[in-house]
Formats: sequence, structure tokens, C-alpha cells
Amino acid sequence: MSSGIVGQQPETVREAFEQEFGRFARFRAGGADELTFAEAETALRELAELRTRHTGKKSALAGLKKLIGRVAAEERAAVGQQIQQLENEIIAALEESKQTLDAHVAALRVERELLDVTLPGRRTRRGHQHPITLVRQRIEDIFVAMGYTVEDGPEIETDFYNFDALNIPPTHPARSPQDTFYTTEGFALRSQTSTVQIHAMQRRKPPLRVIAPGKVFRRDTPDATHNPMFFQLEGLLVDRGITMGHLKGTVTEFLRRLYGPQTRTRFRPSYFPFTEPSAEFDFSCFKCNGAGCRLCKGSGWIELGGSGMVHPNVLRAVGIDPQEFSGFAFGFGIDRMCMLNFGLDDIRLLFENDVRFLEQFN
Amino acid sequence: MNISYNWLRELTGARLTAGELRERLTMAGLEVEAVHEAGDDFVLEIAGLSNRPDWLSHLGVAREVSVLAGGEVRLPEMRAAREEGKTESFTSVEVEAVDLCTRFTARVVRGVSIAPSPAWLVARLQAVGQRSINNVADITNYVMLELGQPLHAFDLEKLNERRLVVRRARAGERLTTLDGVERELDAEMLVIADAARAVALAGVMGGAETEISDATRDILIEAAHFAPASVRRTSRALGLQTEASDRFERGVDPEGQLRAQARTVALITELAGGTATTDAIDLYPQPATPTIVPLRFSRVRELTGLDVPMRDSIRILGALGIERAGADGAGSSADDGGARSAAAESEAAANFVSPSWRTDIRIEEDLVEEVGRHFGYDKVSDTLPAANVAGEYRAHEGRRRASRRALNACGFDEALTFSFIDTAHDEQFEFLPGLVRRADEASRLVTLSNPIIEGAARMRPTLLAGLLDSVRHNFNHGTRDVRLFEMGRVYAADSEEGGQPRETDACALVATGVATEEGHAGASRELDFYDLKGALEAALAAMNVAPVEFAATGARHLREGQAAQLTCEGRAVGMLGRLADDVAAAYKFKQPVYVAEIDFAALLAAAEAGVRYAPLARFPSVTRDASLVAPRRVTFAEMQRAVVELNLEQVRRVALVYVYEGERVPEGRRSVTLRIEYRADDRTLRDEEVDELHGRIVGTLEEKFGAQLKR
Repeated sequence: MSSGIVGQQPETVREAFEQEFGRFARFRAGGADELTFAEAETALRELAELRTRHTGKKSALAGLKKLIGRVAAEERAAVGQQIQQLENEIIAALEESKQTLDAHVAALRVERELLDVTLPGRRTRRGHQHPITLVRQRIEDIFVAMGYTVEDGPEIETDFYNFDALNIPPTHPARSPQDTFYTTEGFALRSQTSTVQIHAMQRRKPPLRVIAPGKVFRRDTPDATHNPMFFQLEGLLVDRGITMGHLKGTVTEFLRRLYGPQTRTRFRPSYFPFTEPSAEFDFSCFKCNGAGCRLCKGSGWIELGGSGMVHPNVLRAVGIDPQEFSGFAFGFGIDRMCMLNFGLDDIRLLFENDVRFLEQFN
Repeated sequence: MNISYNWLRELTGARLTAGELRERLTMAGLEVEAVHEAGDDFVLEIAGLSNRPDWLSHLGVAREVSVLAGGEVRLPEMRAAREEGKTESFTSVEVEAVDLCTRFTARVVRGVSIAPSPAWLVARLQAVGQRSINNVADITNYVMLELGQPLHAFDLEKLNERRLVVRRARAGERLTTLDGVERELDAEMLVIADAARAVALAGVMGGAETEISDATRDILIEAAHFAPASVRRTSRALGLQTEASDRFERGVDPEGQLRAQARTVALITELAGGTATTDAIDLYPQPATPTIVPLRFSRVRELTGLDVPMRDSIRILGALGIERAGADGAGSSADDGGARSAAAESEAAANFVSPSWRTDIRIEEDLVEEVGRHFGYDKVSDTLPAANVAGEYRAHEGRRRASRRALNACGFDEALTFSFIDTAHDEQFEFLPGLVRRADEASRLVTLSNPIIEGAARMRPTLLAGLLDSVRHNFNHGTRDVRLFEMGRVYAADSEEGGQPRETDACALVATGVATEEGHAGASRELDFYDLKGALEAALAAMNVAPVEFAATGARHLREGQAAQLTCEGRAVGMLGRLADDVAAAYKFKQPVYVAEIDFAALLAAAEAGVRYAPLARFPSVTRDASLVAPRRVTFAEMQRAVVELNLEQVRRVALVYVYEGERVPEGRRSVTLRIEYRADDRTLRDEEVDELHGRIVGTLEEKFGAQLKR
């Protein structure tokens, strides 16, 4: 069909292209799967060169296209169409192969750059707060929100603060050097944070609300449930018209914030020299909610601490008139609460500072 | 104390089951720790309260049961089967130590037959955990368990001159007690003696030589009241704790001796035969006067929040043996309470007599407690007091928490160690600046007179000793990479003799091993001085303290040349560095350990760094680096200061890029690369201006420190 100056040239161009393109022809319909990443990249590069050679400005095809203008007018349309078709075919062959190879390379690149997203993130090892600090801060936050001031006093005390002002009689066994540590100069290591009650009532006038978390000391030989040093928290409220109902309501509110709204509390009568009436308080087990389990030894209740109405002798010792004001006090062990909350089986772990222990708390 | 359920029922007639009793006694304050079956009986293990010695008897517990279950306590048979003659015809008693023996009673039974006890007595004693000995000894035990009064039976014929003297022991006097141990007594111990020698340790244990035996015919039954402190002292001093001493220490009913003695004599004449004397010798020079305690009935509600009708208050107190005093004041018509108006009742008051066995009842609040606990604490409602004060944390709590978190972020775990440490550490550490003021330090430290952990008698003047113990603990358990900090008090004696010891908040850090990444097993690098310093700086920054300076220093526990002192506002506030070799060797450390201790209280007390906004630069800055090879002892801080002191307005910052030592740097010198930032507020600096400034700086450093610019 071709004639004139174009003659057989399109056929020649087609044959030349097909000869060189032959080894890429299989990629027109897939067929790149076996290629390695490097082979596919090489093929793509060679394909690009092929394209330049056969479709670029200096290619035979380009030369052919320039001839179209010189074809006789009546044949120009047909010849032009023929050359255009040739170009389309060549480009289509190149494009299709390229797409296959591109897709293969992209797939291989994804595979190569695949991340193990489960590897640990990059960050330096963090330290951990001590479980006693964690529990103490949580308790402080609750009581501050309930209007309490956090106070502290000396850890090495005079007999007045550790015993006398707390209405502990001179013959009480707690005063004996069997039970309480004494310095060579006769000071006592405070055996309860109740000492801070006295300091607080000397510093402030009622109405007052105070908690005192702190270190206390008793002469117990260390074992799984005893340490000669531990942490306690004492609470004190003095105001007009305060009753045991306020004490129970306060302790219950605190425990509900700590262990959840289902928590119940109960009082059992007890004796402490610095409160009258006195009561131990228990709360419903946070694990079984009172049904009975190993944590609460089947009783459904967990013993937490002691409490009561501030003894009138204690109020008098700090110049508060017990006829005008009444108050309540309560206290419990923070270490014990740690044991309960975290399920510790040996209280000595708290002061051994084994990193394997400490790093469990967050 | 073990309490027999059947015995309680005999005394009270109560029909509650053992399980019901367990629950109700516990909720009334007598904690029943366990209930066991014992033959046809149940045993209740009761943990009483330290102010209720009356609960160390079935009678005492029975009084509580009578309130819980209604009904009255029925006292057992007190009459002797055969009586004849006055006690003083057979013996005499003299109390010399009237301060320690407030009452002494004696009665004689002649012609008894010592034999095994009848089966019921053996069984009952066994049920509550007591071993049967013989009829007379068992009866004295039985009555003690029943009524709470310890008693002792002497073999009358073995007493020299058949008489007793209650006196203090002679120093060095010896007595073989019933347990067969010969004991040496001191002059503070109260003994019961015969005409020649001590025959019993008063209130603690009888003597072996006057013990009743199968051959005994005539016996003297002693029931006395001894001063609790004296019994406690003797019991502690001899390491001899007995059922009797437990009761006397805590206080027995000062009016209960004759009753217990009558009960004993009644049982002896019944079970062991013999004839009792018709009366008792009763030396009771100062009889206890009953304490009258007033109660305004409204106080029950005011203190407990419980609405207890007045007649219930009276009923509860009465059942406990707390009777109204004969002549009342305002509350004289209190007992027709049922008909009274609430208003009248709220003003009613009455006087009550504290029973002789209730030494704990002295004031109105004590009566309120009795009423409250038996009315039922389960009826106390939960009420929140009206809010009228605002909550407040301890001073600087936010800064304490921030510094803790900063140290956590630097990889430090928080530790807590005992406040008492071994005195061996005294010489190892240098303490916080100013903690110990005098030259003879040891005497200015606080020492325990009764430590519980061997050697740990010193109240710590430093947190480091405890932290290093913790490091060693970790090493011993296979953890080689340890970073710990502790915040807590350190202690020193007051500068004045006899003054209360000083306590101050300190913070200490220890670091050893390698830095690690979270979740990665491999080490990133060895920790060094600058890790510790960095953590300390992070903590201080989190606390927002006024600027702190570090300077080389020497300290006993720190390696020479690797120790720094911190100062804040011109005051020394701590030290850090590598642990000295001799201290490390004492702890058996084989890898470098870095330690720091700071005066936390002083840093918190120092002025807090304020924030003042600085306008952002409007013109760009130019940075130039200068690498200077200088002698090693020239510090970065000195170089920095030298630049700052030039007072060049356009010099904005002098920072460290890096320090290099090694190849191509001569021995004894190091290359320090500084980066200096130049900027003007009103224009962009020209290169020539910067060149000129930089040249001056380099020139100054070269000249001042003998440094050469590295090109």
C-alpha cells in the first residue's frame, strides 16, 4: 500500500524495532516474575534506551514522520495514518513492557524495604517509681482533693510527741526498748505517724484536715510480713460536731476512689490509746467484692487500719477544748497496701531494691 | 485466749451457736480468730484488746455475751463443802513491799488428797490447751481461766515457820521455779518468801521446793494483786512469761481475789477433800475506790452519730456490770426513759460506777464506746463532713514529683533503703556539706541504742551507703547494669548537746554498667561520669532550681580527679563522681560505680528560677567553630568563662561541640571544639565583623590557656 518516497520504509522500521524488542516482548503480558530486582532494573534501563533509539528525535521513526509532508496530497492522509499506527504500536509495546517491569520492581522494593513493625521502638530505658511512692502519691491526690493538707514531722521524736501527747501511758509496752528504737540520747524513732497529729494541731487551729504519710520504725526482725521500717499514713480531722459517721463516710469515700464505687467498709471495735471510741476498719475485698477469695482469706473483708474519735486527752494536750471540738483520726500501712494492690508475697522486697522488682512498677 | 463454748454457756445460758458467737463477738471487739471443735465442745480463739485484761477469762467474755444474747452472767458455786477454824490459826502473812503487792489473801485447806483430776476437768482444761497436773493444781488453773485471777497453792508444811512474807528479793538470791530452772534474782523483783527463803516469784511462777506433791496434806491458797509494771519487769528480766504474768502485767481485778479464792476452795473441798478455814487472811491496806463516770446521754450521738435510746444505753452498760451510781444529779429519773420526750432525753445525764475489773473505764468517752460498740457500729452511717477547708500538698511536692520523673526518664529506678546503716560506713563517705559541723564526726552522728539489724546502729548521715548495698544486692543477683536514686532523710546530731537530731531531705544517685534501650538486650555503651551528671542536671532542671555550678573537688569516697562539687547560690549543695577504689573494694565492686548526693532540702529552699520571655531574634545569627588544642587541665568552664568575660555584645552563646584526645594531639593536651554564635539585634552581621570577633576570641583563648587553634 505504501508508495512514493515512503515506500517500504515503515516495514523496515517495524522489523528493526521488532528484532531488538524481541527479548522484551514476553513482558507485554506479565512474565517478569522470575526476574531479580537487579535484572528487572537492568531490563528497565535497556528498555528506556530502546525507546530512545526507536522513538527519539534521531530515530528512524522520527525520520519517517518528517517525510509525511512530502507525500503527495491525495496519499498523505493514508500514509500519515499508516506511520501513526506504526508509532502507536511501538509505543504500546514499550509501555506495556515497562509497566510490567515497573510493577515488578515496585513489588520487589516493597519486599526489600519491608519493616518488622514489631521490633521495639527506639528509646532509652526508663526508670520506675518505687511502688510505695506510686501508692503514696495516689493517696495524697485523693485526700488533697477531699480538702486535706499533707503534713510531716520529724522521724526522730521526743517521748512527748511519740507517746505522752498521744495518751500512751508511761507503762505501755510500746514504750519499751523491745518495741521502739531509741537513740543513745534518748530520742525515739517515731513508731507511728500519729505524732504528726500533734504537730499539726499545734501548728493549725480547727477546723483542720490533715494527712501525714511517712516513715515509721518498730523493732521487728525482718521477715516476709515485717520490716523494722515501713510507711504509714495518718489522717486527722477536727471540727465542730464531728462523729464516727463522718469518720466512716470519709474512709469509705477514700476507699471507693481507690478501689471503685462498689467498695463497702465496716468498723470493728478496737483499742488505741489516742482515740476513744476506737475501731478497726475493714473494706470489702477488691478482688472478689466480698464473696471470699485467697486475697481476703475467704472472709470477703480486708483489714486496713485503725481509727477512732480523737481522745479528749490528745485534744487537751494541744490546747483544743474537747467540749467544743471533736475529731477523728485514722491510720494504715502504705507498705501493706502495696502488698495488697500488687500481690507482693514478701514485704522485704520493698527495700531490697532489686532492679528486677522495681522495673515492674509503672 | 482459748475460750470454751460450753463453759460460756454455763456462765450465761446463752443459746447462740459457736458460729453466731464468732461473728457477734468479733463485731463487738473480741476478735475470734478461729473456732475449733474439741470433743463435744467448741474452742473460740479470741484475740482480745490490750486494755481489756478482763477478757483473759471466761467470766469476762461471758459478760460480753450476756449483752449480745440477753440474760445474766451466773457465777458458779462458791461455798466450801467443809469449813472449820480461822486461817490465822494455821499461818500468817506479812507484806513488806506494799508498793508492789497491793493485796494479798491467803486461805488454808487441811487434809486434802492430791490425786488426778476427774475426767470433766481434764477434758475442759485440754479443750482450752492446758495440760492436767493434779487435782489441786488443775483447780487453780481452772479458776484462773474462769475468773481471770491467777492463784497459787503452797504446800503449807514445806513453808518455814508456816508463814509467808511478801518482799523484794535480796540481790543474788536464788529460787528454783516450778519449771525446774534455778534463777538468780535482783533486788527489784518481788518474791513471796517463807521465814527463810523465797518460795515464789510473785505473779510469775511458784517455787519448786514448796510445790504441792502427792504427799501434800495441808495447802495454802494465795490470791493476790501485784503491781503490773513490777511483774512485767521481772518477767522480762528473767525471760519467763506465764499465764499468770500475762494477766498481772495487764491488770487483774483488784476486787476479785476473795471470790476466786472461794471458788478454788469450794472446788478443792469438793474434788480433793479436806477442810477449809472459815475465813481468809486479806491484806488490803488501800482498797480501790470505785471511779464514778458521768455520762450525758446525748454524747453518744454527738460522738458516734448513733441514735441510741437512753434505755438501751442503760441496758448495755448494766449488762456489762456498769451500774448507775446511787445518787444521781440531773438524770435521777433517767430510767423511766420510755415515757420521756426526746428533748428531755437529750439533756439527761447519769453517773455510772466503773466496775473494779474495768480499769479502762475512766471518762465519758469510754462509756460512749461501750454503748456504741454494743448498739452496733454497723449502724453508723457514712456521712461526709461539710467542706470548709482547702486541700494542700506538702511544700514543693510538684517539684519533688517532677524531679522523680526526670530521673526516671534518665533510666534511674527509685529505691528505698533502711534509715539505719552499719557504723562501718562512718569513715567511708563524706557527708552532705554542713550536715556534720564538728571535727569529731562520729560523736555528731545519731546512734541507736537498740538496733535490730546486727551492726545497723547508725541513723544514716548519707543515702549512699544504703544505695551501694542495693547495688551489691543487684550484682549478687546477676544484674550488672544498675541505676538507682533515693530521696529521703539523712540525720545528724544537733550541734547542742541533748538537742533533737537534725533531719534533712537528701537525694542520691548511683549508676553502673551500661546504658540500655527499652526492649533491647544489647548495650548501647558504658555509663560514665557524664551520664550521672546529665541525670542530675535533668532532675535539677525539672525542679526549676536556680543555676547550679560544677567544679572539680576532692572527697573521701570519690576517686581523685573524677569528683565534682555542686554549688547553688554560692553554697555547696552536693558532690558527684566515681566511687573511690578503696570504697569500691570494700563493697567488692569490680566495675566502675558513679555516685552523687545532693542536699535536696537546700535546693528546694533556694530561689526558684523564674521564666522571663526574651524577644525572638529578628536577624539571623552566624556560628563559627574553633578547635583549640589546650592542656587537659584547662576546663571547658574556664574557656567558656573567658569568652563570656570579653563582654562582646554580639556573642550570644558558647557551646561545646566535642572533645578529642588521641592521635595527632600531643600527650597532656586535648582538642576542644567550641561553637560560638554571633548575632546583632539591629542588623545582619557581615562576615568581616564576625571574622574580627571570632579572631579576638581565639586569640584570647590561645593567649590565656596556651592553646593552639587546630587548622
